[in-house]
Amino acid sequence: MEAATTPWWIWPIALFAVSFAIGIVAVLAGVGGGVLFVPIVGSFFPFHLDFVRGAGLLFALAGTLAAGPLLLRGGLASLRLIIPLALAGSITSFAGALVGLSMSAAVIQTSLGVTVIAIALLIWHSKEAYGASIVESDALGAALRMRGRYDDPAEGVRIDWRTHRTIAGFASFGAIGFLGGMFGLGAGFANVPALNLLMAAPLKVAIGSSGMIISVINSSAAWVYIHRGAVLPLLVVPAILGVMLGSRIGAQLLSSTPATTVRRLVIAVLLLAGVRALLRGLGLWN
Amino acid sequence: MELTPEERDLQVEQLYARWLDAATRIAFAISAAAFLAYAAGLLPAHVPPDLLPQVWGLPVDEFLRRTGSPSGWGWLALAGHADYLNLACVALLALVTALCYLRILPALAGRGERLQAAMAALQVLVLLAAASGFFAGGR
Repeated sequence: MEAATTPWWIWPIALFAVSFAIGIVAVLAGVGGGVLFVPIVGSFFPFHLDFVRGAGLLFALAGTLAAGPLLLRGGLASLRLIIPLALAGSITSFAGALVGLSMSAAVIQTSLGVTVIAIALLIWHSKEAYGASIVESDALGAALRMRGRYDDPAEGVRIDWRTHRTIAGFASFGAIGFLGGMFGLGAGFANVPALNLLMAAPLKVAIGSSGMIISVINSSAAWVYIHRGAVLPLLVVPAILGVMLGSRIGAQLLSSTPATTVRRLVIAVLLLAGVRALLRGLGLWN
Repeated sequence: MELTPEERDLQVEQLYARWLDAATRIAFAISAAAFLAYAAGLLPAHVPPDLLPQVWGLPVDEFLRRTGSPSGWGWLALAGHADYLNLACVALLALVTALCYLRILPALAGRGERLQAAMAALQVLVLLAAASGFFAGGR
């Protein structure tokens, strides 16, 4: 469809529909919506990638802000983890946003394509479920009191948890924040393994805390895009409304949809969007 | 009865959750109302929606130059226009986290959680520095 000849109002409606679908799939697949939003909208919509990344950050921010109260009230997000790790990520995401906006569209498209393909492969090879393990805190983790307790109604158990490898955790969230700011992603795909596999937080605490960490990290990077003029409300608001509604539907479908099917769908979509971004960046498919 | 450390943590998290819930609902409601006014043409826009398709494919610097749009905090002066009123409303979402952190700071400090309080205060400074636009390089 040629953007210049299409009535302007088609695009916000299409954006709403795509964001709605992303909201459903993201919840079912357990990934943040931003990682789908930026490559899909950046590859198949007429907006420049600068505006897509600005919208992507706010898209992920809105979703995590909306989910935050439920996660905290359910004991699934821990401020003991969020406050220190989000501090590292928010500083680097700010730097990432500045770097991303100073790069040419071709370079950022190519880098985005490579990153998204790598994310798809990471999801492909990652474990489908991570078991909770009991570890001893390291010195920094003990000083920061990175531990907690939550009741798991599904399992009917109370879990006392601690984390370790705190310095490696800080380094990971620094790197994740930088990439998230540069590409306008939420980076939940990387937060959860970092919290769960690296630091040994229980899976549910890792997922809940990841969402809250995204809300802090993206609040920092979003300002770079706002001040640079890279936030178009005509993109952002339909996307936010679409993902909020889609996420609710996704949450309702969660118990009845086969996780493997959705996971395969997400990998396929990411590979398609990643290849498209890569070829656009290399000037091979415009 | 003295609270356990986990119960005290939960108190702070509940406080954060209450403020997050209220602030997010307000920001979403304002953003949705402002967007309806924008899309329905109830207020004049700095860049009318029907002209946007000609410029939304441009890099942001070129977009600003072609449309005579500001960057940095310059957009606040245009908040009477529907598109920039919408931007102001969307920007509220980026302030919600700082507000919640500010709210829990006294609670953390009051419990003697010096390290947590210091990191939360530093986080507020990072968010305010980002919001200031000083480091973002906007014109």
